Amino acid sequence: MLIGTGEPAALAKGAPTMERLDIDAATLPGARVLQVLCEIDSASRCELLPPALHPTLPPAVSWLVYDCPDTPWGPTRLAQTRIQCRSGTRPRGLLVSAICNNPVAGRALAEGWGYRWEPGEIDFRRGYDEVRSVVHSGGEIALEIGLREPSPLDPGDIQFVAGMHPVHTPRGFRLLQCDPTHAEAAAERGLPLVESFEAEAWGDSRIEPVYPVSAAYCTADITLPTLRYLCKPDELAFTGTEKI
Amino acid sequence: MKFGVIFELSVPRPFAPGEEGRVFFNALEQIRLADELGFETAWAVEHHFLEEYSHSSAPEIFLTAAAMQTRNIRVGHGAVVCVPEMNHPIRVAERAAMLDVLSNGRLDVGTARSSTWTELGGFQADPDSTKRDWDEYVRVLPRMWTEERFVYEGNCFSMPERAILPKPVQRPHPPLWVTVTSPGTELDAADRGIGCLGVAAASFKEQERRTREYHRRIQLCDPVGGVNERVATLNFLYCHEELETGVARGMQMLGLFGVLNANLFFTREAFPTGAYKTLGNLAPSRRPVGEGSPAARRGAPEGMCVGDPAHITGAAKQWESMGVDQINFMLNATEVIPQQQVLESLRLFGREVMPAFAGEPSGC
Repeated sequence: MLIGTGEPAALAKGAPTMERLDIDAATLPGARVLQVLCEIDSASRCELLPPALHPTLPPAVSWLVYDCPDTPWGPTRLAQTRIQCRSGTRPRGLLVSAICNNPVAGRALAEGWGYRWEPGEIDFRRGYDEVRSVVHSGGEIALEIGLREPSPLDPGDIQFVAGMHPVHTPRGFRLLQCDPTHAEAAAERGLPLVESFEAEAWGDSRIEPVYPVSAAYCTADITLPTLRYLCKPDELAFTGTEKI
Repeated sequence: MKFGVIFELSVPRPFAPGEEGRVFFNALEQIRLADELGFETAWAVEHHFLEEYSHSSAPEIFLTAAAMQTRNIRVGHGAVVCVPEMNHPIRVAERAAMLDVLSNGRLDVGTARSSTWTELGGFQADPDSTKRDWDEYVRVLPRMWTEERFVYEGNCFSMPERAILPKPVQRPHPPLWVTVTSPGTELDAADRGIGCLGVAAASFKEQERRTREYHRRIQLCDPVGGVNERVATLNFLYCHEELETGVARGMQMLGLFGVLNANLFFTREAFPTGAYKTLGNLAPSRRPVGEGSPAARRGAPEGMCVGDPAHITGAAKQWESMGVDQINFMLNATEVIPQQQVLESLRLFGREVMPAFAGEPSGC
């Protein structure tokens, strides 16, 4: 059985701190969402994950970009890099880090839902034949992804797996399960485009994209949830899951 | 009620030299014993690239070895992945017919379309077209086996007139099945007059619903060949004199299988498509048997055949009562149960459980 071998202490570095875990849900209506999945090099598939998680076969990264015109913190764009994984038998995405163009929102997302984030700029363009997002960090391109030749899709056919966010909590360093809901109004699928990915900019240079899998786009009302579960990072989910 | 055994040929890490051979030969020994005990079928799955979970990428070769070492047990090629990038339909027909000849007419042929991106992506197959292609395969295979010369123009392949050889010895042809993981596939089976090969452990309630719908619908079928009206389900077997030991070891196997299965990258998760409405996850539910029952108190999920002979007999009787014709058992997962214990479990099942089903008609 493949199990993560990453050092929890390394994950803890740069993880945000949450003073409380009883945050209220927040709705982000009318968001545009781009998700691109890509297989990554297998060499470090276990090292990328803490011992609480299992890699997928093959290992994969997912990028999730939100363009939210209406949030409690003003218009916000958020780009996430996540490693697809399993917590026990459940599909999850381990948050490597996020880039956010709105510092107020970035802080709120970190304090409320454990998003590790850095400030940056995010372009999000919907053209006739493609959707494209370019993420800048420190003036450099950190990510450029997209979807070409979009075609309509049943909104329910896009899968968004729950996130696992490394975070310092009052109970210690944990993986926080964060499972936003996406009430999709319309959805499209297309050819995945992975133009550029600078792993260093996201905090883990071992992630090497090798084979684009899929790209999906939708408009949706996103709800950031109340929090339900924490996982001990060094223990399998079967025994290491804690109810909030 | 008939009983079968089904093999994923899961191999534990680390993949030391000889480890795959050990798994394959252990499985063959189990099949020889199952043959002696009167089991109906030994199935071998087809999977590709699924590290640990299944190294059964060439089941027709494994099943040829099984057929050569046994007398009566049928060999289930289950299931052949009906995706052109993996198996051309002509080759499926040829290989199956050869195996039917060599086994003296003991072949069953399962059909499937793969549920993982791990496999479909590896062959660069298009997930959107797998259902359409599967439908085409099950319609042409009986013709390839029964028509002296075959010519075809279709969607996923075409061919000028040729004699597809050899021909199977069973008449009209080996029984056809389709693997059922997602709700609704049992209706696809019924509409085509083929068997319903459950490979995802379903609850009693869900299985009863599927079985009832299947038998109702197949009465109206437009058969693709000879009608095979049967329902088989997947289960796990660990039989021990002591209930507690049987449940504990069985649950160890079942839990490990569930985790390995979950590590696969399912098509629905990786690739947005209407062609895969569910994950296709095979792991059984962990719902307890029934409140207060001795097996439930020890953690056995509903319907799972892990425990002592009395419990397993009861579970199998319940499956039978809802019209299930055959239960196919997984006997191990990554060799977590030592081979001698697997064989003892089989012997005990043959001695204590199978007689309770000898000669009885299905409850359908």
